[in-house]
Amino acid sequence: MNVLIVEDEKALAGELEKFLTGNNFLCEICYNGRTASEKIGTNKYDFILIDLGLPDYDGLDLLKEAKQNDPEAACIILTARAEVYDRIKGLDMGADDYLPKPFSLLELQSRMQAITRRKFGIQHNLVNLGGFAVDLTDRTIAFGDTSVSAITKKEFDLIAYLILHKNRTLTRPQLSEHIWGSVVNDDYDSNYIDAHIKNIRKKLNVFEAPDWLETVRGLGYRITL
Amino acid sequence: MKLQTKLTLFNTVSKLVIVLLFVALLPTLIKTINLSFTDSRLKREREKVLEDIQKKGIEEYMPNGQAYGSYTPLKEDYVSLDTASDSYFLDTIRRERRLVEGDTISYRILSYTFSVGKKDYLLEIGKSVKTIDETTGPLQNIALEVLLGMMLLTILSDLFYSNYILRPLGLIIKTKLVERKFPQFGEYKKVETSTSDFERLDVSIHEMIGDIERAFLKEREFISNASHELMTPVSILQSKIENMFDEDVTDEVKIRLLEMQRILNRLKTITKTLLLISQIENEQFLKEDSIGVSELLQDVYEEISIRLQEKNISFEAVVSDQVRFTAVNKFLLFNLFFNLVNNAIKYNKEDGNISITGREVKDGYMISVADSGIGIGAEQLPHIFNRFKKFRQSMEQDSFGLGLPIVRSIAEFHKIRIDIRSEENVGTTFDLTFPAEMITV
Repeated sequence: MNVLIVEDEKALAGELEKFLTGNNFLCEICYNGRTASEKIGTNKYDFILIDLGLPDYDGLDLLKEAKQNDPEAACIILTARAEVYDRIKGLDMGADDYLPKPFSLLELQSRMQAITRRKFGIQHNLVNLGGFAVDLTDRTIAFGDTSVSAITKKEFDLIAYLILHKNRTLTRPQLSEHIWGSVVNDDYDSNYIDAHIKNIRKKLNVFEAPDWLETVRGLGYRITL
Repeated sequence: MKLQTKLTLFNTVSKLVIVLLFVALLPTLIKTINLSFTDSRLKREREKVLEDIQKKGIEEYMPNGQAYGSYTPLKEDYVSLDTASDSYFLDTIRRERRLVEGDTISYRILSYTFSVGKKDYLLEIGKSVKTIDETTGPLQNIALEVLLGMMLLTILSDLFYSNYILRPLGLIIKTKLVERKFPQFGEYKKVETSTSDFERLDVSIHEMIGDIERAFLKEREFISNASHELMTPVSILQSKIENMFDEDVTDEVKIRLLEMQRILNRLKTITKTLLLISQIENEQFLKEDSIGVSELLQDVYEEISIRLQEKNISFEAVVSDQVRFTAVNKFLLFNLFFNLVNNAIKYNKEDGNISITGREVKDGYMISVADSGIGIGAEQLPHIFNRFKKFRQSMEQDSFGLGLPIVRSIAEFHKIRIDIRSEENVGTTFDLTFPAEMITV
């Protein structure tokens, strides 16, 4: 899939490119709005990542152009200007998602995956883990015919995020950011991820030991598929 | 006491004292005036009699040397003429009693000796003082009534005038000081006054509030800019660290990367929190949501239950299912309660409890968040909403002291009043009063 990265901060654009290339995306970078506008006019992209704070261009204008040229292109707005009205305006103008800086690359990847799933209308995203079947669309876990209902919303979020980034070790800060991203509080180091994992294991153990949920010593957790 | 009350009170008392003093002095005054008046009349009459005698001769009054005496019918005045021995000489005016036809009457008597030919005569002219004394009482009463009436009139006019002249001051106090919440940004209306002192006061207050507002705006702008500017470098670092995990690095390096990630997270949290507070203060949030109170508290509970579990703290929320908040920002209210409950957990004891209760009160709806924690000392209470202020340092904690500032900013944005009750080692209760217009039942 093709991605156009419109980001004037070269270092950040570089990291985005590196990460997305590593995840099998084809990337192009524009450091300003003018060249981005030209590229949007001539090429087709699956994803356009737009930084709102461009030096020469209003990011929202660029969004409008992108949507006019190719309504199929999924636009994700990246901005440090986390003002609320920008957010509303951006989504009104057809942005598919919005990520306030600073964001985790993994979060970006999961948003892109969600958009892809939406686009291609994937009905049931079923993942089998040992004897468990995890339905990422309905957000349910079943063991054989029995539904594992004890799993809470937060716990499911954790499992789903680990599945999305399967075979990769996710650190506690990455997991925290994902499941508590909308909460603004002043704790800087929480060990609650461990408590959540402990609860998940306890609840799943009733049926079968979830060996696929690994603790990576000193680093975090991983689901191996 | 208000300035106007003080002025009126002083005016009344001082005037009353002067009036009473005057009325008390009145008899003496009247007597003195009357006396000098009577005395000069007596003297004039003496001159007339003497003139008459000179013209017509003493025989006219004293034919054959007989003493002369004449009274008015009611014996108010009398004139007497008699021979006098040459051994004494008189020219006096005195008050004396005289027996006249069986009545003893007090007179003001002029006595005067003079000689005609070889003989000495004594002239007496008397005026009854009874009439003089009788007028003093009524005069005093009339004076008192008239003066009191006049005093009342002046007090009333003083009151009206002072009311008129002090109105700008009242307006300045009411609109600029009492009803003003610092810092409040908005139109500044000049108070109309012709009194230069008040004008100066008003202008000075204008200027001072202007300075305060500018300082506040500057601080807000700075925090807003600083946190914005920090976002991009933090973002770059975060991406760089995340990408490094994917490179071919040893586990030891990965652990160090995780440490860096943690530290970066700290920076991120501070910046995000400051940015949130500055966005709230700059009113960049909309208040268009509606949410049930119990639903909101349930959301908070779900989000925070893992923390309750860690300390084995029991949690109960007793609120009516019918009560809803309207015209609020759901995201912000969620964060308000999250931070309050998080605070209640942080400063709670193991196996403690947190209870949230809602009830209707006179001016809206009150939600109390009570914990069984270590409490806050009275001397610390005024400072708990200050940014980066961490109290209760003895507790092991991983935060910067921005939780309660978030709570306060959100509460102020929604005009929610916060009252705190706390007792050390017993617990703390935050009473949030939501304005009535924010509540639907």
